[in-house]
Amino acid sequence: MTAIGLTFGLGISAVSAEVIVVVSSKSPATTLSRNQVLDIFLGKRTRLPDGSSVVPIDQNEGAAARGEFYVRFAGMSPAQVKAFWAKIIFTGRGQPPIAVATSLEVKKLLLANPNAIGYIDQTMMDSTLRVVLAP
Amino acid sequence: MNIRSTSITLIALSAMPLYAMGADTADPGSDTQRFSFGGFGTLGVVHSSESEADFSATIFQPNGAGHTHSWSADVDSEIGAQLSANITPKLLAVLQVIAEQNQDNSYKPHVEWLNLKYQITPDLTVRIGRSVLSTFLFSDTVVVGYTFPWVRPPIEVYSLLPITNTDGVDISDRLNIGDFTNTLQGHYGKSDSERPHGGGTVYSMDSFGFTNTTEYHSFTLRISYQSARQTIAALDSSFDAFRDFGPQGIAIANKYDSDNKSAVTEVIGATYDPGRWFVISEWGHTKTNAFLGENTAWYVTGGYRARTFTPYVTYAQETAASNFDRGLTVTGLPPVPAGIAAGLNAGLNTLLKSIPAQKTVSVGLRWDFMKNLDLKLQFDHTRLGADSYGTLINIQPGFRPGGTVNLTSATVDFVF
Repeated sequence: MTAIGLTFGLGISAVSAEVIVVVSSKSPATTLSRNQVLDIFLGKRTRLPDGSSVVPIDQNEGAAARGEFYVRFAGMSPAQVKAFWAKIIFTGRGQPPIAVATSLEVKKLLLANPNAIGYIDQTMMDSTLRVVLAP
Repeated sequence: MNIRSTSITLIALSAMPLYAMGADTADPGSDTQRFSFGGFGTLGVVHSSESEADFSATIFQPNGAGHTHSWSADVDSEIGAQLSANITPKLLAVLQVIAEQNQDNSYKPHVEWLNLKYQITPDLTVRIGRSVLSTFLFSDTVVVGYTFPWVRPPIEVYSLLPITNTDGVDISDRLNIGDFTNTLQGHYGKSDSERPHGGGTVYSMDSFGFTNTTEYHSFTLRISYQSARQTIAALDSSFDAFRDFGPQGIAIANKYDSDNKSAVTEVIGATYDPGRWFVISEWGHTKTNAFLGENTAWYVTGGYRARTFTPYVTYAQETAASNFDRGLTVTGLPPVPAGIAAGLNAGLNTLLKSIPAQKTVSVGLRWDFMKNLDLKLQFDHTRLGADSYGTLINIQPGFRPGGTVNLTSATVDFVF
């Protein structure tokens, strides 16, 4: 299935730039599988494969990068992501990741915490960060 | 209909102290979201074609659609609020309050959950207090319509164990192996739930069980086992009359009374949800050594997501091990005791008919028409077992078993 087909099928109107999953260049993480990244963002996994802890940084509902990230990597529409977290929250099992407004704010938090992982607009990439998963 | 009391409850809930969610300024790993508040609800109406009985979502509702109301707003409507407080980074307190149609027909809110969860490690947690009984795939959020595709989870399977919470302790351990995530949860506790129309309180003692959930990519598998000793004291006296009829009568009373009897439920459920479409299926078996009997049920649902529309179809069926008992031997008894025995036999068999046996085909549509809101329409066609009232309640004298029932439902679900 093509990404365009998915995007169209799930009712996402704005097609945004490529989104990449990144960590600080000081992070122990090198590359991660799509499934490992999803498990971290969906609260099913709190450690990297080497055993070190990992903290996901999400983007706010409505942010273009957020819609792109979940459609591209998880095949989930915003309503599906909302329903997923409603399920976790209303079981008292957990809370969604911390969310910030922009890719720039994600980057700031990643640089402040080598254990953090986030997704950003590809145009924000530079040498302070390391790509762990790209589409 | 109880629209008025629903809106009063809404006002009452909105008057609860409201702690704002932490702003978007949090540092990762810090503890700034000390309190979080959320809510959910469903407003729904359902129509039943069977006017000689009521359709209700659980046995704890006093009435429903069909006989009492042509269209009932009570069956599916509910509202809930949840407050969580991080007392320390590792200690979380959760309070969930729900207002729904109670057994006494009121909408007085009740505490569904009130527990303390301590995180021993990120993967190992222990919880003490009133918590969810997560027997089925959607048990955890059975009151949050927004989290599942249907108007209500298939009643054939979900009525196998209608008790939703337990007071006690549970432990949950999560393990990641490669791309597998496995969560094993075990619990021990007790619960009591009051049935409508003087049906007595269902006491579950020594309630224990486990739920194992395995997730791999788009695939989820859940296996659960739940055991308890059940007592419904209010109904035990109805079997005592059998005890006057010698060994045969005593055997019948011992078989059907509900005094500290074991009740065991086993469930296997799976979902496959790659995004554009999904399949959900659950199989369950429950056995109580009392008049509630033994049932086996399963369903399979398939759905497809087309933009904001999710059409789905479901087939569900529930079979009862037995809806009939020959009861006391009437022949040979003198006329007066024979009359009493025949009356007791008839009463017993009426009770056994309320053990559900039915088959349902459902088609429905979920429409995510706005952020945090969905609208669902569902049509159910149910064929009742020849000797069963199915899951229907308030059976009227004109009711004929073995017929068909059509339900038409519309709900709006929301989360905030």
